Amino acid sequence: MITMKKGGFRYSRENWIFRNLSLSVGEGEILSILGPNGKGKTTLLKTIQGVLPLSEGSMLRGGSVGYVPQIAAVSFGYTVLDMVVMGRSRHIGLFSSPGKHDFSACRACLERLGLETLAERPFRTLSGGERQMVLIARALASECRCLVLDEPASALDFRNQNTMLRTLQSLRDEGMTVIMSTHVPHHANVISDRALLLFSPEEHLFGDCEDVLVDENLRRLYGADVRRISFSSGGRGYSAVVPLFS
Amino acid sequence: MYRMLGNRLRVVGTGLCALFLVCFLMSPGDGAQTVVTDQAGREVVIEGPVKRIVTIPIPAASMVLAIDGSSERLVGMNPLSKTAIEGEILSEFFPEALRIRSDIVQGEGFQPNVESLMSLAPDIVFQWGNFGDNLYIPLLDAGMKVALFKYGTQEYLEGWIETFGAILGKQEKAATILDWHRKTREQLTRRSEAIPDSEKPRTLYFLRFLANYQVAGKNTHNDVSIVLSGGKNVAAEEIDGFAAVNEEQILLWDPEVILLNGFERDLTPEHVYANERLKGVSAVKNRRVYKLPLGGYRWDPPNQETPLMWMWMSSVLHPGRDRFDLPGEMEKAYTLLYGKTLSRAQYEHILGMERNRGSAHYEALFGRAQ
Amino acid sequence: MTERHRAVPFSLLAGVLLALTAAVALFSLAIGRFPVPVERVARILLSALFSTEASWPPQETSVVLLIRLPRVLGSLLAGGGLALAGAALQGVFRNPLVGPQIIGVSSGAGFGGAVAILFFDGLFAVIPLAFVFGLLAMVAVWSLGSGEREESLLSLVLGGVVISAFFTALTSLGQYVADPYNKLPAIVMWLMGSFASSSWERLLFAAPVICCAGTLLHLIRFRINVLSLGQEEAESLGMNVRRNRWLVLACTTLITAATVALAGIVGWVGLVVPHMARMLVGSDHRKLLPVSALLGASYLILMDDIARGLTAAEIPIGILTALAGAPLFAFLLKKRQRKGGAWM
Repeated sequence: MITMKKGGFRYSRENWIFRNLSLSVGEGEILSILGPNGKGKTTLLKTIQGVLPLSEGSMLRGGSVGYVPQIAAVSFGYTVLDMVVMGRSRHIGLFSSPGKHDFSACRACLERLGLETLAERPFRTLSGGERQMVLIARALASECRCLVLDEPASALDFRNQNTMLRTLQSLRDEGMTVIMSTHVPHHANVISDRALLLFSPEEHLFGDCEDVLVDENLRRLYGADVRRISFSSGGRGYSAVVPLFS
Repeated sequence: MYRMLGNRLRVVGTGLCALFLVCFLMSPGDGAQTVVTDQAGREVVIEGPVKRIVTIPIPAASMVLAIDGSSERLVGMNPLSKTAIEGEILSEFFPEALRIRSDIVQGEGFQPNVESLMSLAPDIVFQWGNFGDNLYIPLLDAGMKVALFKYGTQEYLEGWIETFGAILGKQEKAATILDWHRKTREQLTRRSEAIPDSEKPRTLYFLRFLANYQVAGKNTHNDVSIVLSGGKNVAAEEIDGFAAVNEEQILLWDPEVILLNGFERDLTPEHVYANERLKGVSAVKNRRVYKLPLGGYRWDPPNQETPLMWMWMSSVLHPGRDRFDLPGEMEKAYTLLYGKTLSRAQYEHILGMERNRGSAHYEALFGRAQ
Repeated sequence: MTERHRAVPFSLLAGVLLALTAAVALFSLAIGRFPVPVERVARILLSALFSTEASWPPQETSVVLLIRLPRVLGSLLAGGGLALAGAALQGVFRNPLVGPQIIGVSSGAGFGGAVAILFFDGLFAVIPLAFVFGLLAMVAVWSLGSGEREESLLSLVLGGVVISAFFTALTSLGQYVADPYNKLPAIVMWLMGSFASSSWERLLFAAPVICCAGTLLHLIRFRINVLSLGQEEAESLGMNVRRNRWLVLACTTLITAATVALAGIVGWVGLVVPHMARMLVGSDHRKLLPVSALLGASYLILMDDIARGLTAAEIPIGILTALAGAPLFAFLLKKRQRKGGAWM
């Protein structure tokens, strides 16, 4: 679905943000991109989306990409439906406005995420978790086949983290490609099929989640002791990635 | 109306007496001292003969030229004084006047550049006294002699003439000019008193016409002149001073005579006649729109030629009545003021015979056919 | 709030506002210094359409058809255009504090107008010069106010202050050197704003510009919604941000320039009216733009009724709109603070 070969990016004449990076995600797969803050995760997401062009290397996209930004300040009091319908802009001509068809498509996207009751609420009055879900609905409204999310669960409380991860999982199960950045390795561990660790601009590690998210790599990535632990509860096996604070 | 005029005359009378009382003059000669009391009540003492004069009020330059009869002593003036000389009659009477410096003031203001002014080494500077003291305090601080004028009324104007006469050593000429002003005024007062109210034409003076319509209401020189010349100023009731109005208001006033200012160079009666929206106005229908003449100065504000303006205006307002012989009066006045005789072309240029050609009675009133 | 928006269908609201604007315009034709009975105004209008016999003084015809009608249409177009431009600018700059005045377009365009008066005769030069300088001012403010990746409110407003001050100074310089009798009165009138010199000729110059640019803005009103999310989000939603942004800026500057040609600088309309519209229909620019235009049109027509009809002397409209606009804006600002910083 998405394949990058020896990709590299830098703003003109500045230092490389990343270089020589290869990755590949298929349909119905989740890729998590991990790295400490300031290692270029957001920039990488933008090149995957196509908003920023690669400075070198090549990129192949098997379908359109929908983007879910980190929760941003909204200047105006749009309703939820107003926000979601903006996801349709790709399908709306320069001099047109969204029509009935667009609105029903958007309501369908809200329903798909169980948000239909929020449709007429002002976006600004929603909780952080609800906003994030609405932004996913907006991305879905663009009829994308791949979702790119920037730290989708980081700013949420535990309950909303759970909802968010479940949502991403169910979208994957419907055949969507999901790429997200996160600085919580545990999130990646729970839902990802693939993982990409960004150590430095030239050093990165891409592979299956189980192979990549190992203690040694994580310790190197964060410069802190991180353990992957397994346990069972209520007859079910769980695995968690936790930092060992000393 | 008559009572108002009477009041005004009384004011004139007392004003003049006061002026005579406070003006102590001595003949200027070598080493002599000239003492004048200016219109702000300040005593100005000038040692020795006055040789270099700078005027900042706009009409003052042409008054100095007129009273002195020469351009030798005027060394600086307002650029707007100069635009009233350039291409006009004074540039023919006093061609050297065009070389007098006028870069001491810029724009519409009266704030001179003190150093430019000092470089002219004036014996005396004439400046406005009623537009704020920051216009003259810096000049006093710089050690210059400053005489202050006030603006607006005929009484003030007469005081100017007096002061100029004293400082230039031309008291007799100034007295003759003043006498002419007063006599003409008395004559016109009597004349307009004899005109029944119903026969006084509704008159409107435009201070500006091209950019917007600025008219003169009460408490303006133009209002006084209209009344003196036997007209009714339609704007006097609702406007105080000068104000912009719109076309509807002009239609409502429906003036029978429209007088256009001499300031806007390109403005002619044709602008008014061509205005589709004003075609219902009586003055337009009867083609009684006139542009004010520009002689030794623009005839709109008070100046040395004001009596001629009154005569002109009374002729325009009452073409059918006994009137002054303007050509004859102008000849006399120009001999008195400038010591010059007017050629026919000069006369026609001053009165704007060409510009006013399309207006009713103008040729009959002022053409020199007789 | 939201429920209220939905309670009245938008088409109904728009219809009511449209009818209201038309009513205000017609009513204003019966207002003025010169008394013309209302019934006569109607007959004069009808006679203009069907050229029937006139049984009234010709002055009344010229008052209604030559003086009031172009003036009412002029204030209608200017008011609608400025409010529309203001709403669009607020969207693109993502900031409800923005107006043609705040971001320097007005002072730039005013300077352009002054230059046109200084160096050319007639009207033809006013619109292009006002446009060029208005755009120049806006670009300058934009580049001062927006860093490479993030737009900041404070530096935007400060940039507007700086650029406005600069162009105001240039205009003052123009006033200073202008011929006091032949050029200056026109410049001064320009700066205070007035519809007193409205005429069909002037309208013919400005109306097509305002109508075209206004229509264009109205057509791309959904794009303005998307632009208001900010560059990154708009780009990620597949929008060519640069192109659309410039389209909006060019249109708003054209409208401002044409208004300057029509009536000089009329401030505050583009800033205040969109706020009133937002109270009615919320922030969605698809509704906000048309509603702002309609409200702005009525607002300025009424203001001009006061300017031309209250006293024998004309009151400059720029003074009236500022007198009404500044307190209104202060009230909205205060209300916003009480609501914890949210515009609607």
